[in-house]
Amino acid sequence: MRLQFRQFVTLATLTAVEATRQPIFLLLTTTCVLLTILTPMLALYNFGEDGRLARDSGLAYQFVFGLFVAAYAACSSLAREIRSGTASAVLSKPVNRDIFFLSKFAGVSFVIIAFSICSVTATLLSERVAERFMLTSKTVGYVTDWQTAGMLVASVFLSYLIAGLLNYKLKQPFESTAFGLLIVGVLAVFVISGFFNQLGDFDPFDFRVQWRILPVSILITMALLILAAIALALSSCLDTISTVIFCVAFFALGLLSDYLFGRYAGTFIAPTLAHMLLPNWQHFWMSDALRRGGSVPWSYLLSAAVYTVAYIIGVLCLGIASFRHADMK
Amino acid sequence: MQHSDTSDQQPIVKTDKLTKVFRDFWRRPKVRAVDEIDLEIGRGEIFGLLGPNGSGKSTTIKILLGLLRPTSGNVSVMGSAPKNVHAKQLIGYLPEDSHLYNYLTPRETLDFYGKLFDMTRSQRIERITQLLDMVGLTHASSRRVGEFSKGMARRIGLAQALINNPQLIVLDEPTSGLDPMGCRQVKDLMLTLARQGKTVILSSHLLADVEDVCDRVAILYNGKIRATGKVNQLLEKRDNTRFTVPSLPPGKINEILTLLKDKIGTDPKVDHPAMNLEQFFLDVVQEAHRNTGSSVGKAGSDNVAYYLTHE
Repeated sequence: MRLQFRQFVTLATLTAVEATRQPIFLLLTTTCVLLTILTPMLALYNFGEDGRLARDSGLAYQFVFGLFVAAYAACSSLAREIRSGTASAVLSKPVNRDIFFLSKFAGVSFVIIAFSICSVTATLLSERVAERFMLTSKTVGYVTDWQTAGMLVASVFLSYLIAGLLNYKLKQPFESTAFGLLIVGVLAVFVISGFFNQLGDFDPFDFRVQWRILPVSILITMALLILAAIALALSSCLDTISTVIFCVAFFALGLLSDYLFGRYAGTFIAPTLAHMLLPNWQHFWMSDALRRGGSVPWSYLLSAAVYTVAYIIGVLCLGIASFRHADMK
Repeated sequence: MQHSDTSDQQPIVKTDKLTKVFRDFWRRPKVRAVDEIDLEIGRGEIFGLLGPNGSGKSTTIKILLGLLRPTSGNVSVMGSAPKNVHAKQLIGYLPEDSHLYNYLTPRETLDFYGKLFDMTRSQRIERITQLLDMVGLTHASSRRVGEFSKGMARRIGLAQALINNPQLIVLDEPTSGLDPMGCRQVKDLMLTLARQGKTVILSSHLLADVEDVCDRVAILYNGKIRATGKVNQLLEKRDNTRFTVPSLPPGKINEILTLLKDKIGTDPKVDHPAMNLEQFFLDVVQEAHRNTGSSVGKAGSDNVAYYLTHE
């Protein structure tokens, strides 16, 4: 049991390391962070809705870029390993196939969660940066938090610079080092910005962010984890292209589930089953709930978490059943 | 060339009418890759699997390793079914293509495989150092394996196959992509391992390699074994006899030839034994290395990892 746990941790770590060393993940995360922070600064004519625009855009970037991260990480960690033969090499060692499969999901989940942390922190900061009307003893008018924006953009470039130097001096792998430093940098900016107000003046520590964005972002992360589980289960019996096609189909059908199947649910068996079995992505996109100071109740988040865990367990069980009997190339 | 007596021991690998049929998407039979193969491989033996492309060598190996499920027949590897995870503690496998994680360095790759065998940190560090020295990759231990040439990837593949000090080593085309010096080192390594009582299964297209090291071979074609037996017996030409004597002056040779012709009634043939091209190449390179003291390529050291021969 101890050996199996150790193997699980080793394989999951390898999956995460291999994923973060692929340039595509660094590229997706960097683009997501930069777009999130630049949106409130570059957008014009927002009719006083700068904060909402920054929030909605940040969450949308997390969802869209996260879909690529989840699908690519899941496909590259299993379908590509089966195709390239690395799965054969590992399974010729004393490694149980179930452990191998589950560790792949754990590794992919780690990457998705790391990406989401980076993305949601950028969204929280972006919402803080967005122009807003302020009435203080010092100023009256619309204020943009240029200082936080500047620090965030600088942290991105600084992480690349340090990763480059570490690669040059110590031969540290550039992509994964930059990915790690990017997360650290964004979180550091988040903490440092707590010591300053939107005008850039030093102020006692206080996170001046909209914490209600967090539950919405957690819901998106749950959706990404479900998609990763589906992609991984499909990877056990299909090649990369077929897996991606099926993932796109799952996403599109899940997005339109209410319209396509929900209307007929309870009347006909097939639409009822489809409506039950397909993940309904609309339930995980709660950005609209934040309008006019609204928020997502924690009880909703808990229900969604239970649904997510149950769905993932179901999908992973199917994946394990398929992978147990799969022929390795 | 048998390296240890196997007659009174249980075979390390045994197959009985082993068959594998690959099926298409609709589960219809597509190809019969392995067709009723019977094998018995003993401890300390170097067994060669020969055959043209698509003859079923790699498929047979993958069934032995539990990577493919046989359609019918029985397989036993080290007394267990191939699916038995615990039996794999004692097996080392070098796949046909090295199948490495491109973004890891050689040291990370070997450390990863070491962890799968529950080796301690100090044990891993010791073995990795010895293995990297053995395969001549100490200088490249911090480069990503994805940047390696085929020969270098082969070397690191071989190192990962030996990290657990296996009792059964399965090598699929181990010398593919290696230079002649690397090939010689791998062949010497196989002989050393067999002398330690380890069993080696070798699949190769390079017949000279197989001839050099294997005790027994099986020749496969279309998934069936077409010939099997000890190499020297299979290759022996029983209708000719050869005498080898030290170099003689021409007069002496003519004297002996006349005597032989009188005795056997036909003209005997005289020639000088020739070394093979591999040996000639190695001699030339070693001489050049002695003279210049440097080498353009990087070869492995002649030392076999200590733990492989002393544990």
